[in-house]
Amino acid sequence: MEITVRIQSLANAAAEPELKTLEPILKTENLWKLYHAGKVEVPALRGVNFDVLPGESVAVMGPSGCGKSSLLYVIGGLAQASRGKVLVDGNDLAEMTDAERTKLRRSKIGFVFQRFNLLPTLSAKGNIAIAQYIHGDGYDPHRFDVVTKMLGLEGRLAHRPSEMSGGEQQRVAIARAIINEPKILLADEPTGNLDTKNSEIVLEMLRRLNKDLGQTIVMITHNPEATVYFDRVVHMRDGVIVDGIPAD
Amino acid sequence: MMGHLVVRNLLHRPVRTLIGVAAVAVEVMLVVVIVGLTSGMLEETAKRIEGIGADIMLQSPSAQIFLAFSGSPMPIKIADKLREMKYVKAVAPALLQFNSSGSIDILYGIDRDSFRAVSGGLVFLQGHDMEGPDDLLVDDWAAKAKHLKVGDTYTLLNHRWNVVGIVEHGKGARLFVPIRTLQDLVGAHDKASIFLVKCTRPEHTADVINEMKATFPGYPVRPLKDFMTLMTSTNIPALRTFINAMVALAVSIGLLVIFLTMYTTVLERTKDIGVLKSLGAGKGLIVRALLAETTLLCILGIAAGIGLSYIVRATFLAIFPTLSILITPEWVVRAAIIALVGAVIGASYPAWIASRKDPVEALTYEK
Repeated sequence: MEITVRIQSLANAAAEPELKTLEPILKTENLWKLYHAGKVEVPALRGVNFDVLPGESVAVMGPSGCGKSSLLYVIGGLAQASRGKVLVDGNDLAEMTDAERTKLRRSKIGFVFQRFNLLPTLSAKGNIAIAQYIHGDGYDPHRFDVVTKMLGLEGRLAHRPSEMSGGEQQRVAIARAIINEPKILLADEPTGNLDTKNSEIVLEMLRRLNKDLGQTIVMITHNPEATVYFDRVVHMRDGVIVDGIPAD
Repeated sequence: MMGHLVVRNLLHRPVRTLIGVAAVAVEVMLVVVIVGLTSGMLEETAKRIEGIGADIMLQSPSAQIFLAFSGSPMPIKIADKLREMKYVKAVAPALLQFNSSGSIDILYGIDRDSFRAVSGGLVFLQGHDMEGPDDLLVDDWAAKAKHLKVGDTYTLLNHRWNVVGIVEHGKGARLFVPIRTLQDLVGAHDKASIFLVKCTRPEHTADVINEMKATFPGYPVRPLKDFMTLMTSTNIPALRTFINAMVALAVSIGLLVIFLTMYTTVLERTKDIGVLKSLGAGKGLIVRALLAETTLLCILGIAAGIGLSYIVRATFLAIFPTLSILITPEWVVRAAIIALVGAVIGASYPAWIASRKDPVEALTYEK
């Protein structure tokens, strides 16, 4: 599948977008993930075939235990695939060592979690800056200012997670996830711990990231209302994708 | 950024951090004070032996250099043979007795006149020299520590002594009694532990030593000019073993506490480790972060330990004025290195565990 999309770097938000013809930035082929419960193998993914194009936003829905989180962890390189291929920007994660997947995660993937998962000892600024530090380029004040301003965090940077609301924490988590301009942003039920108002704020921010900046996003959600913010919705059941329909 | 994270993590659990710092501080203090105590006591003893003013000391063949543990006494007639030697001006026999009842003392049984001939005489601050069989001379430090003054009685070796003089410290022992009385008390009639020899001129010392070695083969003959350099823990095997055992004990305490501290830290931060891994932190970075935290904790502990060592020394010296605790830069550095290495070893396993945590399990970990 090929598509012409608009790609615009966050750092060059004012510049004219480029037009490019692109291959899927994320592609799985017959992806299996098996867990071991004692001597029993429990399949969480049973041959998932799934493509995401650059600049696309995809919501993955399905009942609990259908394999959504497993899919997110495998395509994010946090878990090793048992069988099949996982191509992220042309790199097959299934063939990579743990160290290689770590390196790829550092440069190409950003995660947002349901429970925010901010480091409790650091301020909002520290939580965002540590991602830059791990990325290896060090603290970039310009990039930092652009991201925090975009997410409305300027006044909250000195606060620690325990001093912020859930919505603010999730915005910090989003800032942390995109600060290094990842190829793909993976969000695991990012509104699962938020009230309706904050959920809408977070979803709107994700939509803006996608529409204005061309950020590729894959989001897992239980919330059908959240899917309207996304280009495409994928349904999973029993470890497989059962369909793919346009959101509109 | 790493430094900021490490500092914030240490401040996040102040009690745990304080326990870790305290453990390292106690470890450093134990090493510094125990070594300082043994070195200080040895040096102080050596200074006092040198301070007698004799040129040579003869000990029994089984004696150790540390006089408190000298071997079986020698016949006192040896003094007569020594006096016959060329260039020998005076000879003073002394019977040394270790007393541990009530307090720890080394008692010198001396012959007043011969000791005066060798040492040039004790300097009296109060009272007079020994005249009766039960007379006791006490140096000023021991008098202060034991709250003794002229006219007091003092029980040593189950014998009541009369304090007749307070002398200036630095001439052999802190307590002097007549040699005959001490011989009777310990059942060493006509025996002496050491013979102190004064030469007619200091440059004759080597000749006299040679003659003594020829006359008394197998008997340790030591020039007292070099006595301080000989009185080191490395020259006393039992002390070396004691110091090593104490250092090992101190290191074990520090290592185990650091291990426990960092292990609980890793358990508590399981989710944080998962987050760092999701951000792309490799095993090396996780290990470095934890070891950096341990190192900082250890540096704080070392600084506190050095301060604590001086406080303990001041406290000890206030309570026991006759003690000598020698804190040397060499052993402070050694104690710091020992503590640092121990802490890093103690933190290595928890750091390794942390680096190997599965990121998915870590992220889904609930406290």
